[in-house]
Amino acid sequence: MEKVEDVGKQAETNNHKGKLIATLEEIQSKYGYLPEQELRAVAAETEHSLVDIYGVATFYRAFSLKPRGKHLISVCLGTACHVRGGPAIAKEIEKQLGIAGGETTPDNEYTLETVNCLGACALGPVVVVDGHYFSNVKTSEVKGILDKATEGFDKLEVETDQRVFPLEVSCARCNHSLMDARHVIDGHPVVRVTVSFGNKHGRLTLSSVYGSDAVDSEHDIPRDTVVQMFCPHCHAELIGGAPCGDCGAPMVPMIVRGGGVVQICSRSGCKGHLLDLGGSTID
Amino acid sequence: MKKLHTVEELHNFRHRILDEKNVEYDKPTLVICGGTGGLASGANDVIRVMKRHILKQGLQEKVAIRITGCQGFCEMDPFILVQPGRHLYPKLKMDDIPTVIDAAIGGYVADNLIYKDSREQKKYSNQNDIPFFKKQTRTILGNNENLDPIRIINYIEQDGYAAAEKVLSEHNPKSIIDEVLKSGIRGRGGAGFPTGKKWEFAHASGKNGEQKYIICNADEGDPGAYMDRSLLEGNPHAILEGILIGGIAIGATKGIIYARSEYPLAIKHTLIALRQARDLGILGQNIMGTGIDFDIEIFRGAGAFVCGEETALIKSMEDLIGEPRQRPPFPISKGLWGHPTCINNVETLANIPVIIGKGGDEYAKVGVPGNTGTKIFSLVGKIKNTGLVEVPLGTKISEVVYDIGGGPVGDAKIKAVQTGGPSGGCIPASMFDMSIDYDSLAKAGSIMGSGGMIVMDENTCMVDVAKYFMAFLKDESCGKCFTCRKGTQRMHEILEDISQGKATMKDLDLLEELAHVVKDTTMCGLGQSASNPVLSTLKYFRKEFERHIIDKRCDAYVCKDLVGAPCQTACPVGTEVWRYVAHIERGEYDEAYMAIREANPFPSVCARVCNHPCEDKCRAGTSGGDPIAIRALKRFVTDNVDPSIYKPELAVWTDGKPPKVAIIGSGPAGITTAHYLSLKGYKVTIFEAENKPGGMLYCTIPSYRLPKETLEKEINSLVNENIEIKCNTALGKDITLDQLFKDDYKAVLLATGAHKSRPLNLENEDADGVYPSIQFLKAYNLRNEHLAKGHVGVIGGGNSAVDAARTALRQKDVESVTILYRRTRDEMPAFTEEIIAADDEGIKIVTLVTPTKVITSDGKLTALECLNNELGDIDSSGRRRPVPLENTEHLVKLDTLIVAISEDTGIETMISANDKQIELTKWNTIKTDPKTHLSSQPGVFAIGDVTRGPDTVINAIADGKRSALMIDRYIRGEKMVIKAESKLPQVFITTSENSDSGEVSTSRVEVKHVPADKRRSDFEEVEICLSAKSASCEARRCLRCDLEFTQPKEDEKEKANNQKTSTGVNVT
Repeated sequence: MEKVEDVGKQAETNNHKGKLIATLEEIQSKYGYLPEQELRAVAAETEHSLVDIYGVATFYRAFSLKPRGKHLISVCLGTACHVRGGPAIAKEIEKQLGIAGGETTPDNEYTLETVNCLGACALGPVVVVDGHYFSNVKTSEVKGILDKATEGFDKLEVETDQRVFPLEVSCARCNHSLMDARHVIDGHPVVRVTVSFGNKHGRLTLSSVYGSDAVDSEHDIPRDTVVQMFCPHCHAELIGGAPCGDCGAPMVPMIVRGGGVVQICSRSGCKGHLLDLGGSTID
Repeated sequence: MKKLHTVEELHNFRHRILDEKNVEYDKPTLVICGGTGGLASGANDVIRVMKRHILKQGLQEKVAIRITGCQGFCEMDPFILVQPGRHLYPKLKMDDIPTVIDAAIGGYVADNLIYKDSREQKKYSNQNDIPFFKKQTRTILGNNENLDPIRIINYIEQDGYAAAEKVLSEHNPKSIIDEVLKSGIRGRGGAGFPTGKKWEFAHASGKNGEQKYIICNADEGDPGAYMDRSLLEGNPHAILEGILIGGIAIGATKGIIYARSEYPLAIKHTLIALRQARDLGILGQNIMGTGIDFDIEIFRGAGAFVCGEETALIKSMEDLIGEPRQRPPFPISKGLWGHPTCINNVETLANIPVIIGKGGDEYAKVGVPGNTGTKIFSLVGKIKNTGLVEVPLGTKISEVVYDIGGGPVGDAKIKAVQTGGPSGGCIPASMFDMSIDYDSLAKAGSIMGSGGMIVMDENTCMVDVAKYFMAFLKDESCGKCFTCRKGTQRMHEILEDISQGKATMKDLDLLEELAHVVKDTTMCGLGQSASNPVLSTLKYFRKEFERHIIDKRCDAYVCKDLVGAPCQTACPVGTEVWRYVAHIERGEYDEAYMAIREANPFPSVCARVCNHPCEDKCRAGTSGGDPIAIRALKRFVTDNVDPSIYKPELAVWTDGKPPKVAIIGSGPAGITTAHYLSLKGYKVTIFEAENKPGGMLYCTIPSYRLPKETLEKEINSLVNENIEIKCNTALGKDITLDQLFKDDYKAVLLATGAHKSRPLNLENEDADGVYPSIQFLKAYNLRNEHLAKGHVGVIGGGNSAVDAARTALRQKDVESVTILYRRTRDEMPAFTEEIIAADDEGIKIVTLVTPTKVITSDGKLTALECLNNELGDIDSSGRRRPVPLENTEHLVKLDTLIVAISEDTGIETMISANDKQIELTKWNTIKTDPKTHLSSQPGVFAIGDVTRGPDTVINAIADGKRSALMIDRYIRGEKMVIKAESKLPQVFITTSENSDSGEVSTSRVEVKHVPADKRRSDFEEVEICLSAKSASCEARRCLRCDLEFTQPKEDEKEKANNQKTSTGVNVT
């Protein structure tokens, strides 16, 4: 038994204590696996030996030492999915991709993994592809799901898709419309604001189509930068939004014509947003 | 959001929100589930279309949207609940949204979309009346529909943080613990330790002022349980409030939520909730000026089932491998980083605000003594209404499964429920009267666990279930204890052997012994309970294990090494269905005929009247689509190929004079036996009581289903010089068994069938105009007598009833025909296609009636008195039993009544006094050894309906084939045993070259019939043979389950090469 008292004292003084799994999770989500040099770096920065890190990295299911494919397919084999035909779905995917569970296709497109339970038991068999859930999957649907993954789930047919629609927004402070009919993105007039980050200041136009994240910016905004947005008319900062549910950065609120508020995340690359209809106050 | 500085401010804040709400919220609200289940079913699309419609129509002021977490009725996702009114619109498509929104605003119910009971088509306009919700007590889960989990204001509106308010202002840990003790709540994580006791210990533990932790265990690893996910996702603030109260009670300043990384949405909502609670000042330093410090953080587990065990959970938080350690010391005294740590489950903590809110005594009124409060179960698997169900502890399993869950999905009966995940066990349907509480479940060999309730039906193999859990446990065993690491592995290997038919009965004993050793010699909960799945399935389903080992059969059609191609295994005579279907696809019809005929002497008969078990088990059907129309394909082959291409070889008896065998009855069973014995050189005499051979096929099956010429041709092809048929010769009248043996018959086979219709046992049943169905059908088929006249009633729901009804309809003096059945259409045992055909021909089908009296005038039938029935409780067979309703007597005017409720063998009147040694069963059938078909009398065999009661043609033929083999061995004095083997596909047949070109149809070919108005007046065959084109299309739909066993493996080498290229970290 280790001397717990000592460990406890260390923990209070040492920032790395209790953070190993979180660190490895970060690396895993960045690379899709745990590259050797990163693990060595973790060992060098913390008091953990590489052997201990290897032990942890191989004990938990979430970690992989092998690179993963572009698309991650998880087939749930929890009890409920198992009795409702999950194994047949897993087999069908294995057949179509020509790999077994835990393997990656030679072209690095797909990694197939089986998981113990995704907690969507009422809808089994469940397959998750790149974070998108498919419920009550039938063997005949497998091909379509794989095709969709290659195609990309975010692809939007703005013209035909009934799930997208344009919004008309205005500044919460001066109530002036933020729409700019001179520019068009996705076939609709854009939303124009002034953006500021670092010491740069310039024009930013956003697609007004809800569901599209197309933008056009005067300056290149580096990924992950949290920006400020201003009304081009009254020059007030568009503030007072809730923190983004995805990343925690402040969201930028705008008033929706006809009633409602739309908020978009101020972090470049984050797709967090919130559309509240009815009620026109910002809390 | 402004930070609150005093507890009073929180109180005022709540009241201010509620006042505003009363003003603003008078508009209808569309509630939609945006939890993991909802999103998986397309809720996001529905939400977007809702928003688009509202914006486009400018309805912002008229209707509101509330996106909630999981509400539990996941089967119905994506759904919208409209408030007020609680109208539930299930399984919506994007196009339905405008209709729902218009109805919500208009204040009416959209009839076409509202929730309907799938069975009775009854509409429910209020969610509370839906059976799924009606019997639940949704204390914890019920709140999820009232709030958007990412908005703290919604929670506060629902009296959220009111309990915390009370606790913070009183600041009396002792009184909190007292309330929790009084509530009697036991840990919802599975073991059921009283939470109040745990908090009492935690409060007392540690030195004064020592750091203490409270951990919320949200590492919901039990596959099949997801209530913790649902709670964190749908109402995260309730959990935070529970942790805060717990923290204050035990004197902790830090709470940690240990969440599974497989639950991204739950983590997201919890993080948002934490941020909001801190912003509002409900968490943090000096909470609302009370001097109490308490904050919560989230720890993401990295996926290890064993980390649900508390000491392993703590280790994983300390940067270590999640291996449990010996207790004591318990985490309560030495936990995280050596400090006192109290670990509670998510659901336990969700109950805490309720307990503080209404008081422990009040809480304890729900449930049963020792098991108080409600428990959430995830009711999943083979059940109609899947989802989360919250009921008081002490509720019966049957109430949850049948009343709330709605019973089985399809025809397959429910067999068991599995509770407690991999540490739990299976409880058979016969014990569903049991109360659900910690103690009863443990007594039955299972555990409560976190509340997974996985329903299993006849298509679930219990060996496979045990194997599944053991595979899970062997993977998840941390490896610290040898017996767990090796024991689970060995148990899995043995179960694998059983599922492959390789095990012996000795292995079964070893498995049981091993299970006990693992249970007794491991350290943590995982190992100690790892044997439960094996021990409980062995306890209640030992027969299934033995069936795998001894008979090499998996009756659920799951274990693939025993099942092979399901169509072949399902066929009682083992027809290689896949083989002839493959030949049809290749256009090789002669080969297809050979494949059929080799196994089945009655191809043309079976192509018309077989109950096709092959189609029931066809994987194209069981995997969610339509089964291949196998019987129609068989008809196509038999109609297009000259049967004389198959020439069986007739052996000549070389050992002196060929022995004589007597067969009583010339039905499919008797003729099959005669045919196969004759091929071996025996001299067979068939005695038939009627004037024509064919048994039931001739006497009762109408010729519009099976033309007489087809039958006669098929029988003639089976009769040869070794067979003599003597018609008009009845057992007990013209011949006796003793006489036959005196006449030098070496063996006698009784295949007399079940030709006696069972009576209703009603007064006046012998009246003029009342006929047993067999008598009625025989009169027509054998003697062309038309007994039916005027208005005809047929009682019964089986094929015999439908045959009688359709035959009556075709008789000359008949005006109308009505079938009267006591249950509903869904339960009618007749073939579905026959019921539809009867319908089409204009036969009235009246269901849910019980006949009570035959009304006569001058000894002649005039009417039938009936009572209406309703479907009552579900009986042990899993079907709702019909219950006659009082005061619903009514008369059905009839001129003819045909009774077709069931058939009896009538055997006791056929065998004479000297034959009394032939033992009968209590169902008046002949008792035989099922493996040899020998009766209690040496030399007397019996097969077919006379041994089983009314049954199918194909089973009779299978009996015939096996009995021929047994009679042969009996006469030769050989051992009468057949080695049990699984029948796996042997021949490799490639698909035809053009099979890859063109789309494969996904739907089953439609078999055409002669139009109803044309056919209802004659006896011409109704079903029309498939065209060559549609036969080939249908054959192409076959999934070719055979290829897995027959296809030469080419790509195996390549695969082995791929696996070598794995990378790893070099740690040396």
